[in-house]
Amino acid sequence: MTGPGPALLEVRDLAQHFGGLKAVDSVNLSIHEGEIVSVIGPNGAGKTTFFNVLTGVYPGTRGDILFEGRPIRGLPSHDIVARGVARTFQNIRLFSCMTALENVMVGRHSRTSQFLLGPLLRTRAYREEESAVESLAKEFLDFVGLRALGNELAKNLPYGAQRKLEVARALASEPKLLILDEPTAGMNQTECSDLVALARRVRERGVTVLLIEHQMRVVMDISDRVFVFDYGVKIAEGKPRQVVADARVIEAYLGREGA
Amino acid sequence: MKKLLGSRWALGAALAAAAAFPFLAQAVEQPYLVRVAGVIGLFMILGLGLNFTLGYAGLFDLGFISFYAIGAYTTAIAMRAHVPAPLAIVLAVAITLAMRALLGLTILRLRGDYLAVVTMGFGEIARLVINNLDSLTNGPKGMQVRPWRPLACISPDPNVQYYLLILAGVSLAVVASRRIESSRVGRAWVAIREDEVAARLSGIPVREYKLLAFTLSAAFAGLAGALFALWEQFVTPESFVFWESVLVVSIVVLGGMGSIAGVLLGALILVGLPPLMQWTLSAEWINYRYLFFGLILVLATLFRPQGLLPSARRESELSS
Repeated sequence: MTGPGPALLEVRDLAQHFGGLKAVDSVNLSIHEGEIVSVIGPNGAGKTTFFNVLTGVYPGTRGDILFEGRPIRGLPSHDIVARGVARTFQNIRLFSCMTALENVMVGRHSRTSQFLLGPLLRTRAYREEESAVESLAKEFLDFVGLRALGNELAKNLPYGAQRKLEVARALASEPKLLILDEPTAGMNQTECSDLVALARRVRERGVTVLLIEHQMRVVMDISDRVFVFDYGVKIAEGKPRQVVADARVIEAYLGREGA
Repeated sequence: MKKLLGSRWALGAALAAAAAFPFLAQAVEQPYLVRVAGVIGLFMILGLGLNFTLGYAGLFDLGFISFYAIGAYTTAIAMRAHVPAPLAIVLAVAITLAMRALLGLTILRLRGDYLAVVTMGFGEIARLVINNLDSLTNGPKGMQVRPWRPLACISPDPNVQYYLLILAGVSLAVVASRRIESSRVGRAWVAIREDEVAARLSGIPVREYKLLAFTLSAAFAGLAGALFALWEQFVTPESFVFWESVLVVSIVVLGGMGSIAGVLLGALILVGLPPLMQWTLSAEWINYRYLFFGLILVLATLFRPQGLLPSARRESELSS
């Protein structure tokens, strides 16, 4: 496989069936450290299901997912987060009655350890961890450009800011792989280019980015490589220019010529 | 009101007033009030305990009083075995925690109404076991508890002694609740309540944290049960019927789920009102108390579903 580094994520013969429905079937792919990779495909192609198997929401029916060479398929989601895979959601899922800052602090859960005795006895270790979590959370808010909105309840933030807050919350777990499920859905052009710039800056931090994206302009703009899904199967992969010229891809999107 | 309760000085003043209360009641020759206040305190501890399950984790539990019973009976049995009283209290808390953890492990797959029904079933089973396990609990005849008179240097009246012990218990429960609520664990509970999937994918082991909230509730029930047994010097299955579980749920719901100040107020109203009614109106009225609870709860859910003193977060969750 082509790519700038060793494989960070390797998927072999992955399938997720729901009864007779093969939502994801025989998917093989690998993603390398430092890449920005897009998954595209018509609605219902199995992209989100694929992401859900990667992050432990669904167990998967068959196949292997290797993250840094170690199998993660079927692990509980929180374990997968701890290993360095974080994600955002197609329909924004923030903790709406927590402040923006608290949302990011929750994202820090897997990298912190204070349990009951620390807070009960107000130990020094507990107070230090809390203040470290808070200042780190502020840094992540700053990184996505939301520092000034830290004390607002998440539900009161404008739509574009909510998307960015999800990214900040995911980044707080210090992932090696960040998975974005349609990050630009419902965004206007300015918000879109904001998010593209954000994805690039995330990569500059050394985080590999995998995203589902529908806007072809965005896909062409930021992807190093593109995977194309249709009917749960990966039908093409390659550089953005190659993929859009691929006959199978055009057929998946537009139908067969003369049909 | 919330700001008032939140400030350290106001809390100190409230605590001092509460500590002075039994001596005042004795001065005006109403010692009966000390007993009533003690019982209110026990239900404050129970309410704060159930608040972990119901308020923080959002799990319904209609059998909570069985853990009060387990705490009380553990204490009674330990006292019979000549265990020193302070150790008996510790033992009661430990065993209640262990039983609760076991129950949680088996039933926390269930949600909502199903969980409520199963916890209700457990409450009944626990009471029936206590009623029939003669060798250990002496069955329906109840158990005498060896007297323990702590704080004798402060007051010769056992009611005052236990009132002060219970006050210490309430203070402990409030401080513990506040500290855990504002910690990483408390944040995790809020996250789970608001969006379980997002919480899991933010790295929170959801099942373990629900079990934690469910289990921690029992520490408070165990403590309250132990104090109850030592104070009354007598335990019987009759004290732990289903309606007592409903009472604790009502306290939390009326006061405001997830709100410490709310739970305290809820206990004050729902436990303090019946004796007051009995005292001012007539003894007949006590028979109608659940009718009034029902009315209060219906009115509360209609006009103030967030509770009398809701936590800011819960209020915001309900309005969105």
